[in-house]
Amino acid sequence: MNISALSEVAVRVIVGSLGLAAFGIFFGLMLKGIDRKLSAHMQGRIGPPLRQPFRDVAKLFVKENIVPDQAIPWVFNLIPLVGLIGTISILIYLPLGGFPPLFSTAGDLIVVLYLLIIPSLCLVIGGFSSGSPYAIVGAQREMATMIAYEFPLAILIVSIAWNLLQKGMTQVFSFSTIVATPVWNQVSGPLGFIGFAILLVVLLLVTPAELSKIPFDAAEAETEIAGGLLVEYSGRNLAMFYLTDGVKTVVMASLIVAVFFPYNLSTLLGLGTYDGMVIDVVFFLFKVFLVILFSVTLIRVAIARLKIDQIVYTYWVPLTLVSLVGLILVMWDGVIMNFFSSA
Amino acid sequence: MFSLESGSGFWNPVLWVLALFILFLLFYGIRGFGKSTYKKGTEQTKVFLSGNKETSPEEMHVKASNLYWGFTTSMKSLYSLLRKMHTGNTSDYILWFVVVLAVVFLIMGVM
Amino acid sequence: MTFLETLLAHSPALVIATPLLSAFLVPLVGRISPRIRDIFALVMLGVTGCFIGLLASDVLSHGSRVYVFGAKNLSVPLVRILFEVDSMGMFMAIITVMLAGIAVIYSWSFLQKQDGLDKYYTLLLLVTTSALGMELTGDIFNFFVFLEISCIASCALIAFWVEEGEALEAAFKYIVVSSIGALFVLFAIGLLYAQYNALNIATLAHLLQFSFLDKIILVLLLVSLGMKAGLAPMHMWIPDSYGRTPPSIVLLIMSATLASFYGILRVIFTMYGNVLTTPLRFSLPAHLIIGWILIALAIVSILIGVIMALIQTDLLRLIAYAAVAEIGYMFLAIGTSIAALGTTYATVALQGGVLHILNDAIDIGLLFLVAGAIYFVAKKRSLDDISGLARNMKYTTVFFIIGLLAVAGMPPLNGFTSKFLIYESVYQVNPILSIIALLGSILLLAVFIKVFYAAFLGPELPELKDVKEAPRSMLLAMGFLAALAVCIGLFPNIFLDALVKPAATALLDHAQYINMVVGGL
Repeated sequence: MNISALSEVAVRVIVGSLGLAAFGIFFGLMLKGIDRKLSAHMQGRIGPPLRQPFRDVAKLFVKENIVPDQAIPWVFNLIPLVGLIGTISILIYLPLGGFPPLFSTAGDLIVVLYLLIIPSLCLVIGGFSSGSPYAIVGAQREMATMIAYEFPLAILIVSIAWNLLQKGMTQVFSFSTIVATPVWNQVSGPLGFIGFAILLVVLLLVTPAELSKIPFDAAEAETEIAGGLLVEYSGRNLAMFYLTDGVKTVVMASLIVAVFFPYNLSTLLGLGTYDGMVIDVVFFLFKVFLVILFSVTLIRVAIARLKIDQIVYTYWVPLTLVSLVGLILVMWDGVIMNFFSSA
Repeated sequence: MFSLESGSGFWNPVLWVLALFILFLLFYGIRGFGKSTYKKGTEQTKVFLSGNKETSPEEMHVKASNLYWGFTTSMKSLYSLLRKMHTGNTSDYILWFVVVLAVVFLIMGVM
Repeated sequence: MTFLETLLAHSPALVIATPLLSAFLVPLVGRISPRIRDIFALVMLGVTGCFIGLLASDVLSHGSRVYVFGAKNLSVPLVRILFEVDSMGMFMAIITVMLAGIAVIYSWSFLQKQDGLDKYYTLLLLVTTSALGMELTGDIFNFFVFLEISCIASCALIAFWVEEGEALEAAFKYIVVSSIGALFVLFAIGLLYAQYNALNIATLAHLLQFSFLDKIILVLLLVSLGMKAGLAPMHMWIPDSYGRTPPSIVLLIMSATLASFYGILRVIFTMYGNVLTTPLRFSLPAHLIIGWILIALAIVSILIGVIMALIQTDLLRLIAYAAVAEIGYMFLAIGTSIAALGTTYATVALQGGVLHILNDAIDIGLLFLVAGAIYFVAKKRSLDDISGLARNMKYTTVFFIIGLLAVAGMPPLNGFTSKFLIYESVYQVNPILSIIALLGSILLLAVFIKVFYAAFLGPELPELKDVKEAPRSMLLAMGFLAALAVCIGLFPNIFLDALVKPAATALLDHAQYINMVVGGL
């Protein structure tokens, strides 16, 4: 590899990760504001202004950064930062706003699935390291939730790749393949369509747990264990976790959009380069907003919090069974259609 | 370069670590703008227990065997089955060996 | 012939002879001074490592080689043993000697105040010899002999903390389980000899007809070596014996376990390599049925391993259950590559499985060493009784974090690289296999996060207020494994191209293995 190619990669890494950091944080906080405003309206309140999350972060930066006596300072201080950068780094593999991913041949769906563990893992370690019983109870709940939702999530991701493989694709875990061949176009008949619809619903139900939102927020549970794993965090450390939460929202919504709704308007409308780009970005943000509306805002307004053993049960029994049904339907899809066409 | 390819996907650890490093520098800098001080040795650094008095570390220690209560409770039937299986008797270890041997014999069509 | 060439020509014998002879020299050297004995054991392992390195570089560049003990020509009576050294055997030998070297460095401080160390080092070198012998030999009866040596020497090592009753119990269980396993291996070898009048693996592979008896032999070898490798549901001796020995010994028993796993690979891929595609039952080819048997047992291993590890409170037993799960990942990979023999993803799965042997040795080994360091400073086994060690043991904490992330397969550490290859190949046989493999990893993460909290984070207990960092030799041993975990994680393709791919190719190319012996000698 020569110098110019190497320097190009270096520039892409530097400029790209800085740009994605700005994008992730800005839209993450924006989505948080929209979510709060909408849920307030649904509950008949006026709610905070859209820029409230930005003000929250600014305020947290001027607050004292307390480290409790029982905490392990170096873990306690480092973990929020690691969580934030780990979460932003997921964005370099995701296709955003109609553009291909920053590094389309450096990481795939399995990598993203693994990197999605990082924000929750950092919350867990942060909670454990703060030495407060509330935080420890919250942290172990978060870990149990993580085990719980990973089962249906894994079923979903592997089924999508497996389906693409059956349709003769290679590099089926890569995002460029997944975006170029949307799942809905890759079904042979109604069975596959129903299967993927079921898997989509499961993914929308995994999202609130991934983002620690009601009804799956037993780990934070303000009314019960006083904010759980975040109870001892304050000041800039809490701001880091706040930002992580925002970026995580963008990541999760972009993942759902990339896997299930990778369609763009510009090709449909036959627009030129620049106006096409603008339309695509706007359309992408709209799709992200819709995903958050259905999987976070509506659910959290409508439902009460589940107990932790109920959360594990919900994910490991009903939702796993449902997603297995989805997987089986997807697997039968091709077989049955072939059977009919040959008969 | 330095990329692992499986035929179904790829993973480049060096690039990821590089991006992580750049992001770390950026956010370490941003974090530096935040206030870093607090009042050491005051009531502030005691853990929050809803107004209850902080007790000795032994009493506040959540023991490892109490972790993941939610998981073990909802998987109770699975765990009782597995606990029954792990008896700790050497004769049972050999019994499992014989069982597996028999099952594999059956599948292979020898018996 | 220069000196180096002579050395190279005889290095297969020297690899076995050096640790074997130095094992019996150790008590003599120990009479001079314990310190010299400790260094002597490491130096002799270093010399063995040099021979392995010499041999490995030659095998990797010039292909496999055969070494003949005994009769040079085919004359009657034919008394000879062949060693057949290929890339796969070399790969395993590198892992074995690495683990043994690290165990010696670690035990310098860990066992400093114990007595009976002369015998300890003797047995340690004997276990190393037996594992190396199993990996280099080309003779199935010779394999059994080394297997027996490893059983007996490991049993004596497991009972090292003999003043604790549980160590004796664990040793008793180990000797019962492994001798029964070894007897069944002997029975299978007897059947082979009765049928084909040969004991050489290559000759047997050449002659094998896949008769009724051959099926029985295959099942006996698979299941008994599977038990020695710790495949569920025959895994129960693993937590018992790993949980009661000094962690440095666990590293050696682990290398013996991996050698048994290698035995399975050798039996299936080489000995039965010619007949794998013959139809067995329901007009399904043999490799499909064998592959699915291994996959089923592997899935059971992964699930039982992680689910049982989640509720353990004894740290060493907990890691032992995680080791069972890791063995499951290897069997999942090789099961897939056998079931799907001939496809491209079968090769990827095999490469993932072979790389996972190395990663398992590094990750589980590292975690055992950290657990040993915790036991060394706190003198407690239960996770309920320790807390807050990260305050005083910064290096150990960092090594534990690396081990934790590596064993759970978090990027960018080594566990992820092999699991990545496994996930992205086994789903092509059946998607559910990848799903369970992914689930197993996240459960392993939960298991070790629990350990991280219980041992390192959490409040500071008064009786553990003035613990000190582990001694330097233990830190060195842990640091070496941690550095290796990071290196393989960051540059997986270098290790893959240099070591793993040749090993996988050597396994799949059974014709070449057979021709080395049947063609010329």
